[in-house]
Amino acid sequence: MMSIVLAETASDPGFSAIHAWAMATAAVIAASCGLVGTLLVVRRMSLLGDAIGHAVLPGIVVAVLAGGRAGGPLVFLGAVVAALVTVGLTRVVRAAGGLAEDAAAGVVFTSLFALGMVLVGFAPPGTHIDAACVLHGELAFLPFDTVPVAGVDVPRAFLVGAIVLLGLVVSVLTTWKLQVFTAFDPAGARVAGVPVGLITMGLLAATAVATVASFDAAGAVLVVAMLVAPAAAAELLTRRLHWMALLAMLLGVAGGCLGYLAAWRCNTSAAGMIAVVLGVEYAVAAVIAPGDGVIMRLVGRARLSWRVVCEDILAALWRAEEAVAAPGGRHVSAGRLPAAWWLATSGRIERVDGGWRLSSRGRREAENVVRSHRLWEAWLGRHADVPIDHLHPPAEWVEHHLGSAMRERLQADMDARTADPHGREIPPEA
Amino acid sequence: MTEPRAGAPCVELHDVTVAYGRRPVVWNVDLTIDSACLFGIIGPNGAGKSTLVKAALGLVPLVGGEVTFFGRPLSQVRSRVGYVPQRESVDWDFPVNVTDVVLMGTYGRLGWFRRPGDRERRLARECLDRVGLADVATRQIGKLSGGQQQRVFLARALAQQADVYFLDEPMAGVDVRSQERIFRVLDELKAEGRLVVVVHHDLRTAAEWFDRVALVDRRLVASGSTAETLTPDNLRQTYAGHIDVLDDVGRAIAARERTP
Repeated sequence: MMSIVLAETASDPGFSAIHAWAMATAAVIAASCGLVGTLLVVRRMSLLGDAIGHAVLPGIVVAVLAGGRAGGPLVFLGAVVAALVTVGLTRVVRAAGGLAEDAAAGVVFTSLFALGMVLVGFAPPGTHIDAACVLHGELAFLPFDTVPVAGVDVPRAFLVGAIVLLGLVVSVLTTWKLQVFTAFDPAGARVAGVPVGLITMGLLAATAVATVASFDAAGAVLVVAMLVAPAAAAELLTRRLHWMALLAMLLGVAGGCLGYLAAWRCNTSAAGMIAVVLGVEYAVAAVIAPGDGVIMRLVGRARLSWRVVCEDILAALWRAEEAVAAPGGRHVSAGRLPAAWWLATSGRIERVDGGWRLSSRGRREAENVVRSHRLWEAWLGRHADVPIDHLHPPAEWVEHHLGSAMRERLQADMDARTADPHGREIPPEA
Repeated sequence: MTEPRAGAPCVELHDVTVAYGRRPVVWNVDLTIDSACLFGIIGPNGAGKSTLVKAALGLVPLVGGEVTFFGRPLSQVRSRVGYVPQRESVDWDFPVNVTDVVLMGTYGRLGWFRRPGDRERRLARECLDRVGLADVATRQIGKLSGGQQQRVFLARALAQQADVYFLDEPMAGVDVRSQERIFRVLDELKAEGRLVVVVHHDLRTAAEWFDRVALVDRRLVASGSTAETLTPDNLRQTYAGHIDVLDDVGRAIAARERTP
């Protein structure tokens, strides 16, 4: 679907090279944010990403006032310093005021952000910085500030974004195992000699750098979406950190491109639309995630109830055989006919005059269900103070969940008893 | 790496006092362990056993005293000292699998930038085999039982091939079968000539597992061979809780330093 939209749009005469550059810029900064965001999310530091996203502002403004230009090294330096100051100040405020960490961070980053907003007022006219851009950025203007690279006019923002992405990928790759160890078990890592403090400072600096690269395009508020949403979505979809990082970058790029195109079509804020698309990506991930996703949970529940119905039919037929020693056909209630049909098709029961009868395969499975049921009743009766008329309901539920290993353990726990508390025989393992 | 000084004890704590913030929680511990054995650090909940171990490993700052391993500071002998933190101290939903965690044990030796290769992977497999987890090598760690998670941590420690191991409550919340497996591996480590220091709170098993013990309740009550140390009198001193004095003095220190 995405390629159709891309093809349609690319052939649209209104979609010029300017838009292609803006879209490419969105893609590279989203990839940077996805990479850094992955490490923030698994370290439960997403809120810090938010704090840094805001707190770099005074650093940037001071750098601009000191003569730095947007996307220049001075601005990056200012932002990194501001990020580290934020974290340091948070610790000081926390220790001095006895505040909880989130409250301390809240006080520090909002104050620093406000300071930045005030300082913006002192910027001389003509400086490329203003209050509105600070909040939500403006992708559409970026392609007009270009630098010639090998004869092509490349937008400065794209160039900076690409260099930052390259730098981040290289630094994360070279320190990958240290990043993983520090994130998973900081105490263990420290004892093993990993420079945990340095690694953490590096991650904070990387967050600041990714934030600054995204600032002109996304602004202080929406950069948080780029940091957190793709990484959180990726965490739902995979259980290995390196795949998660890669997936977060891809989701970021996809969100950046689709969001930009959608915004261009609808003629609305590109950064806003990108953040909306990233939110939708997360929602989709939550629905389709393997294991814990909404769909998988529904499927799991449906499969369980289907198995319960099937096993109940088998057990009912087995009990009927037990009651009347001669096996004959038994009736199955109409509501359970689909399950009965399936059991017949898979060779567990067969049709005879007057209803259904267990096949030898079905009998084996039925025996284990009944064995589970009666073993559980016997175990509860012996090891827990449960009145005899209360034993049936828990066993009716547990009988579907005991494997052969568990049945063996229960049996071992009851010194070779062969009857349940109602006096009925516990069938042997089939 | 660095050779030990001749005759230097494996672990020596000299007059160690540890504080959280400004409040001392473990006072003036002198403890020397000079040979390979299974060593238990025993005491009631909140006695500061874990804190003492963390302080010895540089995870909590000392307010007084010093700690040496083989006669040297930890920073010079890191590769020879292994640590298994409490199981609850990490997030088991973290997106790594069992082998990833065990490989972390080799990172110290690999240095900062070298990646684990075939040799490390083979070692990780052997260590997993030793703790009985070879069949879950590629499973996500959150899908394991508590006992299996603890064994993953033990396998990681084995992969480090250290000479001294510190384990913080390795038997807490662990099923009996895992406990036996863990204890067997610890016993093997001892037989290989390594020192294994275990923070433990269950007195009943302490007597049968450890060669030597230290009884700790915010100070060292007694240490030595298990039989000679776990005496009724020592146990009464450790578990009777008659040391409100230390708590009150600690609080007084913290209060005074806050308002000079």
